[in-house]
Formats: sequence, C-alpha cells, structure tokens
Amino acid sequence: MVSKKSRHRDPLVIRTPEGLYCPKAQAHIDPWRPVDCALITHAHADHARAGSKDYHCALGGEGLLKQRLGDQQITPHAYGDSFTRGDVQISFHPAGHVLGSAQIRLDDGDSVWVITGDYKRDPDPTCKAFEPVPCDVLITEATFALPIYRWPSMDQTMDQLFAWWDHHVRHQRTPVLLCYSLGKAQRMMAEIQRRSDRSVKVHGAVATLNRVYEQQGIDLCPWERASETNQGVSSDLVIAPPQVAGSSFLKRFHPTELAMASGWMQVRGVRRRASIHQGFVVSDHADWNGLIQTVQESQATQVYATHGETRVLTRYLNEHLDIAADRLETAFGIEEGVDQ
Amino acid sequence: MNFVGLFQALDTSQSTNAKRDALIEFIRHADVLESAIAVQALTGRLEKKRLKPSLLKYTANQAFVETPWLFEECYATVGDLSETLAILFANPQAKPQTNAPILQQWIERQTTLAGLKPEVLADALLAQIQEFSKDEAFLFLKLSSGGFRVGVSKGLVHEAIARAIDMDRAVIEERLMGPFVADRNWLQRLQEPVTQNELDARPLPFLLANPITDEEIAALNPQDTLVEYKWDGIRAQLIKTDQTIRLWSRGDQDITEQFPDIVDSAVTLPSPIILDGEILAGTPCQLQSFHQLQTRLNRKRITQSLLNTHPAFFKAYDLLRFQGEDMRDQPLAARKAVLETITIQQSPVLRPQRIAEIAAMREAARDLGAEGVMIKDRQSTYGAGRKAGYWWKWKLDPMTADCVLIYAQAGHGRRANLHSDYTLACWNNQDELVPVAKAYSGLTDVELKAMDQWIRKHTIQKFGPVRQVEPLQVFEIGFEGIAASTRHKSGIALRFPRILRWRQDVGPKDADGLAHFHALMTNHHAL
Repeated sequence: MVSKKSRHRDPLVIRTPEGLYCPKAQAHIDPWRPVDCALITHAHADHARAGSKDYHCALGGEGLLKQRLGDQQITPHAYGDSFTRGDVQISFHPAGHVLGSAQIRLDDGDSVWVITGDYKRDPDPTCKAFEPVPCDVLITEATFALPIYRWPSMDQTMDQLFAWWDHHVRHQRTPVLLCYSLGKAQRMMAEIQRRSDRSVKVHGAVATLNRVYEQQGIDLCPWERASETNQGVSSDLVIAPPQVAGSSFLKRFHPTELAMASGWMQVRGVRRRASIHQGFVVSDHADWNGLIQTVQESQATQVYATHGETRVLTRYLNEHLDIAADRLETAFGIEEGVDQ
Repeated sequence: MNFVGLFQALDTSQSTNAKRDALIEFIRHADVLESAIAVQALTGRLEKKRLKPSLLKYTANQAFVETPWLFEECYATVGDLSETLAILFANPQAKPQTNAPILQQWIERQTTLAGLKPEVLADALLAQIQEFSKDEAFLFLKLSSGGFRVGVSKGLVHEAIARAIDMDRAVIEERLMGPFVADRNWLQRLQEPVTQNELDARPLPFLLANPITDEEIAALNPQDTLVEYKWDGIRAQLIKTDQTIRLWSRGDQDITEQFPDIVDSAVTLPSPIILDGEILAGTPCQLQSFHQLQTRLNRKRITQSLLNTHPAFFKAYDLLRFQGEDMRDQPLAARKAVLETITIQQSPVLRPQRIAEIAAMREAARDLGAEGVMIKDRQSTYGAGRKAGYWWKWKLDPMTADCVLIYAQAGHGRRANLHSDYTLACWNNQDELVPVAKAYSGLTDVELKAMDQWIRKHTIQKFGPVRQVEPLQVFEIGFEGIAASTRHKSGIALRFPRILRWRQDVGPKDADGLAHFHALMTNHHAL
C-alpha cells in the first residue's frame, strides 16, 4: 500500500534561506531575501519585501505593492489566469485577505500545490472573496488556529462600534480606532460607508493607502487626513495604526478614547495588556472554523502550516481529521500582536 | 443599568476616576438589590465557589471529550477559565441585556445548578452558557466560581458608595465591616446617624517610610533620629474602644478575625487607644518567618490548633490616639515617651550618636529576622502617607545569584499570552541545571515583550502551557532568605525571589552553581 506522503516524494515547494521556493519554476513565494523571481501573495511587510528582480502578483495588488516597495518590475495576473515557468503552471486565486491578495497555485502536471498566504473566509467589501482551490498539498497560515478564535458578524461589530463612537463623542472624547493601515483601515471605512454617512479622519499612513484603494474603485467613507490644524475633540472617528498609541499624533485630539480592531481583541487579557479600552473583534485572517473549512475544501492530503498556531493546527489535522500535516517554519507573521 | 452594564463600563475605562464615576452612577440608579449583590461581588463578599473551578473544567472536558489537549491550549492562551468557557460556548449572536436586574436570578440559578447531580450538572451548565452572550457568560461563571476581579479595589467601591450617598468615607468603611446583608435596605442602613464608638473605632491613615538614598544617609544627623528594626510582618493598627477591639492592615482590611490571640492580649490595654505596629509570626522570644502569617490570613476559620502551630503577636512602635486624645500632632519623641508607659510588646529603640551605630544595627537585622532598619526623625509628627523626611527605611541588600532560564509560562490576566512566569536554574555538581526559583516580575514591559518573542522562537518542547526553552538567557535574581528544603530538587528554597536584571552580558556557563547558594545559607542565619 502506498502511504499518503510518498506521492509527493519530490516536493514542488521547499524552504530555502530566502523563503519558500519552487525549484522547477525557479520562483520564490513571498521571499524574505532578494531573489530573481518573487511570487507575492499580498503587500503586507512580512510577505512583500523589496530588492528582488521580478515580482508577480494578482491583478489589483500591483498598486499596493508599488506603494510599499517603490518602483519595481511587477507583472500582475488576473485571478485564475495561468502562466508557465519551467514546467510549472502558476496562477493566482482570491484569498480575501486584503485588496489584491492571492493564493498561489502551482501545478507541474504531477501534483498541485497551493500556498494560501494570509486569508479569511468572512465577507470584505474591499477585496474579492476567498475561493477554495482543490490541491494535493496545501501550505496554509495558522495565525488564529485555536477554537477560541471565531469571529462575530460584522453587523454586530459595527453596531457596537457606532454605539461606542457616539457615546464618547457625547462625553466630549475623540474616538480613536487603532488598526493596521493596509487593509483593516480600508475595510472598516468601507463598512462604515455601507451603513452610514459618517466620516473619519485618518493618519498619514492610512491616507496614502486609501488613495490606492480608491484608484481601484473601492468605495470608502468620506475621509480627510488628520493635520496639524485639527485641534481638540473630533466627532469624526480617527483611524490610525497601533504605533500611534502614546505618540504626539493623538495629543491634538485630546482627550481621546482608544479602541482597537483586531482578532487578538478576542482575549480580554491581551486587550488590557495593550492598554486598549475597547476592543472590536475584526480580523483579516481566517478563524478556527475558517481554517478547518479551508483545509477540508482543498481536499489536500498533505498540509503544511507556516505561521501562527501551527502546532495546534497540525496536531488537530493529524489526530482528528486524519490529514497528514506538518509545520513549516517561516518568517511570516513574526510581528505577533499586530494583526495584519 | 444592571451588573453587566456596570462591568462593561468598568472594563472599558482605565482611569480610576472614570471607574469611580461609573460605580457612583450605578449605585445611585440601579435596582437596590442588584447594587447590593454587585457590591458583594466587587468586594469579595459573595459566598465563593458555588460552582467549583474543577466543575468548570469538567464541563469543558465533557465538551472537548475527543480533544482535551485543545481545550488546554485555549485555556493557556486566554489565561482565565471562565473567559475561556465564555468565548468557546456563549452564543455569538446573543446581545447582552444591560438594563434589567439579573444578579438575584443568577445567584438562584447557580444555587440550583450546584444542587444538581454531577451527571447532569455539566450538561445543564453548558446549556446555560449557550443561552448567554459572551460578556454574560463570563460574568455568570466568574461570579459562581469566585475570584472575580475587574480592576476595582474594595476601597474604591467603598469610596463610591460613600460618595453616592454623600457620607463620610471612614464611617462607611466602619459600617461595611462585618457581615454584609444584601437586601433592599442596605443603602438605608448605611445612612443612619453616626455614633461616638464608630468615630473612635476608625483606623487612621498610615504614615509610610521612604527608602533612604546614600546621599540622605550622608546628610543625616544621627542625633535627630530614632532607629528601630524593620520587622518583616503585617503593618497594622490595633484599635481598642470601650466596646470593641480591631486590627486593621494597611491594605484597608479589617483582619481582626484572623488574630484572636492578639485581640485576647489587647483586653488589658487602656481605651480608647490606637497603636501602630507590626503583626509578627511566632513569639517575642522566637520569631517565625513571614510565610507563617500568610497561613493565618488565608484561613477562613482560625482553630485552636492553628493558634498553637502558628502563634502571632503585635509589636507596637507608635501611638496615634490615647485616652481620647489625638497624638498625631505631637513629635515622635513625645509619642514614644507615652507609648513606653503602656504594657505591650514594643520595638527596641536606638538613639544613635553616630551613623556607624545605625549601620551596625542594620547589619544585625538579618540575624534577628528583620529586614533592615527604620530611621525616624525625632521631631516628626504622624502625617498621612509617604511624607518626605519623616521616616526612612534602610533595608538589607537582597542576596543575589545569576540563574539560567529553563521554563517559561504565560501569565494570567493582564499578562495572558505573554510569557512572564520564569523558572530559573543553577548548575549542580554534575553540570546539570536544576530549578531554584520561579520569578514573575522585575522586567520592564519592553524587556518582557522582547523575552516573549525570544521564548517563542527558542522553545525546545511544550508541556501544555509551559515551554522549555534553550538554556541561554541569564538573569540575576534577588531574594530575602534561603533555607534548606526537602521538597525541592535543588535542596534549597528561596524567599521572595524576583528578577533584578537581565544579564545579557554573560552566558549560561557564567551562571552560579549550587555551591554559591550553600555558601549563602551558611553565612546567613537561615529563617
């Protein structure tokens, strides 16, 4: 009898010092050192690094990549279209993480491997929804691979957010929402736009990325860049990256009330340690059910988990779903605590 | 507003003022029975453990019967059993009810649940949790299993009550002593007219000492000072009125019930009187370690056999009220003169001529089981709080050792998910690392975070929430005492170990061996 693993004796993807690598296609996936050919899942800093010769990404993601990496040789590909390097067919498929984010499918005619990058299964008005891609081997993230991570509905969260916002404006405090400036900020703004005619003020880092989103036709709520002339309490929500907590940026809006939108906010102790008053559980990653669902829908017989709670996910797959799973150490997601 | 609403307001505000305002608002406007039970819950007066933590754990294990390890992983990440269950099993669609009173109903339901047979209890509890929203489930479980904390102190709640009904804080403290009856009249009872006895039985604010600096020692005129040993016990005021004897600790706690032996010996004191001093373990002739006092504080009932095995006594060093007179405005020397006429154990006083005498007394402290010396200005009055230039403490240097980090575990509460609990080891004669101490604090937040990242990347093995790490990081630990122990693999037990410094300048081979600890044990009188 042939064991499950022996089918993939010659792996299509291996790990090299530069990152995940497909020898047959001579291409790296989200390399963390400069290489000749980089296939990029999305523009977050731990996945997209500067210095490589050629970049490939999904159509819709090249704007953010340029914004992040500067002027580079970037070839965008429409979702689902394949191109060939070596004997390998390569295609990008929606990952639902942020604008232009993709899973990467590699097919050498012998087996199909899919690298998910970061992804989520919940709806997001700023990017194309995740599409399951059948494969033999799945390389998945595992940021939130614990059953305690299950995301509430956006309707419920936005109700809470609006109530919190109004409450603090009534009490003469500026509501400040801390969230990652690429993706989460625009998702929150698009959700605000869908439900209200409210407007926001944003930190410079968010403003730059907002423009890229709007160029791609994403509908954000009315916003303006917070400037030196903004003094005192703002009745607009202020959206800024988490790094501004405790910085002079917030002083101009004093007194402020801090909230954070992140999957980590699910645990009370994490929120309190970050000295955040209010947490909204919103994540651009798959929750526990989303991860399990994705593994099952892929029909993969071998799974590798790259970052996050990899031990938990692989043990669960091995012991309870009878799917061969191993950990694959990478440099992704190393900025733990910041939900990218 | 109900208790859930109050919790949300407290949990999402971090300034003490905002919390106090939320409490005042709640006490003024909530249903009076709801506020009565809420006060019990917030001040640790609620009958604890209607549902035991072991039962919560059993319920979780029933639900995770195929994957108990998965539940353990969840618990280790969340750091709180009730919160873990609430996150896992509460209804994510449910909206918390934050207005209508719920506590009375909850307590009844918990009592009903507690009365069920074990076979059906877990299912019934799980069904109950599934009806709740996350916040409700968390509070329901937290209240039922004891250990409820939401970042408000007992003192803050009492202060809020006093403000909400516009009463003197100390009188409210006095009236909240003893059994608290949670009924519809609780607020009314607190507002009755104040009696003389209540006024006399009020503890007074403690005068606290500042650590002394080298410059201050140099600038000291020894002839202006009185010097006493700094005793390692519980700072307390012993109060006697015509009707009552009370012991109050500095933490605003009435600890009278824990020390019936001290109350007995105070019967012969003149009254009314308020003495400031230290509760010490053992007898005046033979002191025992501070650890023994913990046992007294932790027991619900103090039995005669506990009094025999863990005796305690009161050592007085100041006199705050005497025969109806407030002594606090008199200079220390005058207060001491009166105190010396009263028959009670007192701390010996040195009236030094030279700094060297103070230093010599400090050197002698360890052998007596004291922590150092107190230097007090002879002319100082008895002020409230940490008054500069009144009292100084000059503590002994802690004993130290360099140890290697071998295990790390995530903390609880604020430190959930952050590896902040360290097990540290030293070398034995066979060149093996043996654990000598567990230490929880002493690093800055930045260092803790950096170490957390390091720990995650250098884990060799995981045992549930405990990570074994590569033995590479060295920390200097300080501790107050060292004793031989048969319970520890290393053969030694340290008192109050904590991390003093992260020794990034040395490697694991430079860490201390067991011989270093044995030398310390021989040189210092072990307590």
